[in-house]
Amino acid sequence: MATETLGVPISSMYANGWVRHALTAAALGLMVLFLLLPLAVVLVQAFGSGVGAYVDALADPDTLSAIRLTLFVAVIAVALNVMFGIAAAWCVARFEFRGKSFLVTLIDLPFSISPVIAGLCQVMLFGLHGWLGPWLRDRDVQVIFATPGIVLATIFVTLPFVARELIPLMEEQGAEEEEAAVSLGASGWSTFWRVTIPKIRWGLLYGVLLCNARAMGEFGAVSVVSGHIRGATDTMPLQVEALFNDYQTEAAFAVASLLAGLALVTLVAKLLLESRFPDELTATHRF
Amino acid sequence: MSTAISIKGISKRFGAHVALDSIDLQVRPGELLALLGPSGSGKTTLLRIIAGLDTPDAGQILFGDEDAPIHTMRERRVGFVFQHYALFRHMTVFENVAFGLRVRKRAQRLSQAEIAQRVQRLLELVQLEWLADRYPAQLSGGQRQRIALCRALAIDPRMLLLDEPFGVLDAKVRKELRRWLRQLHRNLNVTSVFVTHDQEEALELADRVVVLSSGRIEQIGTPAEVYAQPASAFVHEFLGETNRLECHIEHGFVLLGALPIGRAERGIGSAVVYVRPQDIVLSRDASGPGLVRHARRTGPLARVVVELAGSNVDVTIPIDSVAPLGAREGDRVSVQVRAGVIFPASPVESMKLLPLDLQGRMLSLVPSAIGA
Repeated sequence: MATETLGVPISSMYANGWVRHALTAAALGLMVLFLLLPLAVVLVQAFGSGVGAYVDALADPDTLSAIRLTLFVAVIAVALNVMFGIAAAWCVARFEFRGKSFLVTLIDLPFSISPVIAGLCQVMLFGLHGWLGPWLRDRDVQVIFATPGIVLATIFVTLPFVARELIPLMEEQGAEEEEAAVSLGASGWSTFWRVTIPKIRWGLLYGVLLCNARAMGEFGAVSVVSGHIRGATDTMPLQVEALFNDYQTEAAFAVASLLAGLALVTLVAKLLLESRFPDELTATHRF
Repeated sequence: MSTAISIKGISKRFGAHVALDSIDLQVRPGELLALLGPSGSGKTTLLRIIAGLDTPDAGQILFGDEDAPIHTMRERRVGFVFQHYALFRHMTVFENVAFGLRVRKRAQRLSQAEIAQRVQRLLELVQLEWLADRYPAQLSGGQRQRIALCRALAIDPRMLLLDEPFGVLDAKVRKELRRWLRQLHRNLNVTSVFVTHDQEEALELADRVVVLSSGRIEQIGTPAEVYAQPASAFVHEFLGETNRLECHIEHGFVLLGALPIGRAERGIGSAVVYVRPQDIVLSRDASGPGLVRHARRTGPLARVVVELAGSNVDVTIPIDSVAPLGAREGDRVSVQVRAGVIFPASPVESMKLLPLDLQGRMLSLVPSAIGA
């Protein structure tokens, strides 16, 4: 019975068409209302007093510092994430070991934990009154309310992105090409660079894009550990909030438009990748 | 005789499963050896261990005259052809073949021009030089297989190992490639071991066949030997079509139910008798013991199923003897078994089934004359 139902072309199941049109219209309407409209509002507000005001808002030293900090944190987080992601995916996809499913679940942990809690954990660990706090203070290392804390919090929150993208990809691709490379006399290093990396490059790039977008946009975890020192420990999202709370709406939206622009670039790049390499992207859409 | 590969007491377990149980095998220089067995018999594991892709739990493998095992694949210099080709998908055919030359240690690396020349020559050898700029995804299955072989040959391997080389190709391409590989092997004369579950492939291609079952070697021999003189019931059943008949041996007669179908030199009691379909002769006989159940022509042979003493027996006869026989479904026929192998239930050696004469009496020939 089921196969007969499946055999019916979808168009004929909704032959009269109005159901289709109504559903499409509803979906599009909601998209415009909830996604496009807010984005438009951001842009309108940002340019509310003209381009000059927009540029001035971005040229503010505190804002520039926030942009620099955000980029700095993102670069470190993405780089570490790539290393961790490849190592984790390699070990999960290539080897059978006890506790493998536990490890995979653990990788997902940052997705299931609220970012605020992630930030609080950092404070409990590295803060002045945290477990490692006194030890760090004796050595004159400040983690919380400083850049290291922001980097750590961002790494924690973005940890799963590359690994999650690569694990199914590498499991599906198997290790035969690597075995072939080794049988042809390649060293482990040369096999990795000449065979493994090219095999996973598109999936890797996709993971990097998602990771980067999240690293730049993260608010909750970073907010807890940053200490909100203007011009020092405020990232772009924090700066947006700070400006907004100071009733500098236009400046807030100017910074917000930069963040939104970044999100758009990421989306477009993602779309391009997906259309060019559909088989190689497992499209972790559930995030 | 010198040996190319000497396999001594190789054992391998995967958890509780014993994949290989103390395998001993000598591969001769220049020969084309088939590892034949059903899936799970350990043949691919053995091949991977020879290649160095897997490590054995016990035993060692020696190459040529060297008396110490070589551990790294780089030093083994083994050309391995994977079942699913494992071509590098992001490289052109040219780069695939060149790979083994490019990853050599700097001191041994050839110049760009030499590499190009060598790859060109190899591609000509497999007659695919016109595909040099294509990517693996743009090739047919047979072309991929030949490129995979070409890539393995590029490192000038001391031996070639092929894992189910034609496993995923369709029947026609498989046949062509088989003939092509046979020819290539004759030209290159490189020691080659290939794994297959296809007995026809093993018998047609190999100089010697190693039949494996459940991680053990059942028999080693030339194709003619393993086919004509199977060492065990397993080998007989695995190589070619056969009828498995539960028989009883009494007074030198092999009885299927109460019907004598042959003679045995010794042994009393129940036994399993294997008879190949082409070793049975049918003749029209209204009072014969056999009843034709089914008859169908398939190419040069006709396949007939005869019910004999409660068992269904497959018989193949050349198409030109079908008309004289005139057998149709429901006809009665007499059945003469020309040859077979008897495996007695008690663990004594197998023996040959000796034929009866047409009337069911013992033939008056001396057994040795028949056995010849």
